[in-house]
Amino acid sequence: MDAYIQVRSLRKIYRQKGSGASVVAIERLDLEVAQGEVVAIVGQTGCGKSTFLNILIGLERPTAGELRIDGRLPYEDFFAFRGRIAAVFQQDRLLPWRTALENVALGLEILGIPLVRRRALAEEWLERVGLGPFRDAFPNELSGGMRQRVALARAFAVDPDLLVADEAFGHLDEVTAHQIRREFLRLVREQGKTAVFVTHQIEEALHVGERVVVFGKPATVLADLRTSEVGGAGASVREWIQRVLTENRRPADGVPGREAEVRSGREEERG
Amino acid sequence: MRQPMAVAGTEAVEALEVHRPLPAREWVVSLLVFALAWELASLFFPPYAVPGWARIGSRLLALRADFVAVTVVRVFGALGLSFLLGVGGAVIFYRWQVLERYVMPLVKLLMAVPVVCWILFAVLWFRGTEARIAFVLVVVCAPIFLIDVLDGMRGVGREWREMLLSFRPTSFQFFTKLILPATLPVILTSWKINLSLAIRVVTMAELVGATSGIGYGLVVAQELFSVADVFAWTVVLVLILLALQAGVTGIERRVLRWRD
Repeated sequence: MDAYIQVRSLRKIYRQKGSGASVVAIERLDLEVAQGEVVAIVGQTGCGKSTFLNILIGLERPTAGELRIDGRLPYEDFFAFRGRIAAVFQQDRLLPWRTALENVALGLEILGIPLVRRRALAEEWLERVGLGPFRDAFPNELSGGMRQRVALARAFAVDPDLLVADEAFGHLDEVTAHQIRREFLRLVREQGKTAVFVTHQIEEALHVGERVVVFGKPATVLADLRTSEVGGAGASVREWIQRVLTENRRPADGVPGREAEVRSGREEERG
Repeated sequence: MRQPMAVAGTEAVEALEVHRPLPAREWVVSLLVFALAWELASLFFPPYAVPGWARIGSRLLALRADFVAVTVVRVFGALGLSFLLGVGGAVIFYRWQVLERYVMPLVKLLMAVPVVCWILFAVLWFRGTEARIAFVLVVVCAPIFLIDVLDGMRGVGREWREMLLSFRPTSFQFFTKLILPATLPVILTSWKINLSLAIRVVTMAELVGATSGIGYGLVVAQELFSVADVFAWTVVLVLILLALQAGVTGIERRVLRWRD
């Protein structure tokens, strides 16, 4: 059966406005994600993770190669994915002139859900993220953690098939980030969503993902491992990922705790 | 029920201080000092040069209220049309930047033409008084709306645009749910600037060829050598402007209450 997300030889090259020089953001990226899988992508800052997510969401067109979701191209078939993809960004990106409830209802408005149903859904999602009493608060009246919860509710409210999170909790303090990360995972599992979670923190990637994909710079898959197979977020696994990131090349050795294969690009090439 | 939650950051506090209106006490004191100085001057100069407040007050009551109404209607009519043209142009240029590159130099050229030249052009090109006044107001105010609104639209953050696009809105939804609300603070500021400009421009336009309105009232006062009438009309103009500005500020407070 075909994977839900298929990425084949994806490349993205930007031309810098000032100098006209070309910058390679993504280089021959191959990746597959099954439906219902929760994948964490970890990579250094500026490695092209966000560019990859923008292509995944359908906001940018790849320079070469292709990315398909459920067999369709998210940029070209833009409106085919209406209500099927939702994103949580690094900053909450709430609209300051809308109350918490109105922000949660934003995606539902775009989908044309009738007012009564829309309000009920938005209220339900605000309750689920624990912000029921703050429905009429404007974003500037909420703390950073609360705002990010509203952003979570906004994404989940449209009931998407695919959830994309771009460094979604990276700017929060560790206690708040931990709470919201747990909330995010609970909702993803409860709703059976496919989720792609991008982060530069190895610890977070190992905590969130059933599968951790290590991106090089420019973005290409250096390593791909299942957390269940490597015994979770042990120190040796963290150090191994750190070494892969630092060396910025596909690892010669296997990941600790898994003697067999490391599904790195090199091994796939060998196979 | 709304509840206070997060403590406002330094930025928010600074913003509040910047937007704080002048305290009423300072307004009253400065106006009283001016009024007193004027009254004192009226004791030393003849009434046709510096009339006292009693004389100005009596002239104020004798002014034609219909002239005030005519001027206000002209201002709102022309500003409404200018606003529609400005926003329409801004939306077109926002979508088709190539068009903007060709048309904007002409708009900037129009803006460099002095108001008095537009008044003369209006007299030469149009027969009807209303057409002349509307033309002058629109040609002066519409480009300001256009440039302000376009700048506001362009200033909408990439983060917000990407967030909204991730939900796949139609072009109409993109404008109504993001671009226009995000541009609203700029639009209201532009209205304040244009109101003040329009009041001055309409008066100048009415000086030439009009048979009604405050500008015409000023011409009559000048022909009668009545400084009291000129002063009374000036007071009316200032009061109209302050009232209109207060109205826009009230609307601003209401629709931008999320900034408080």
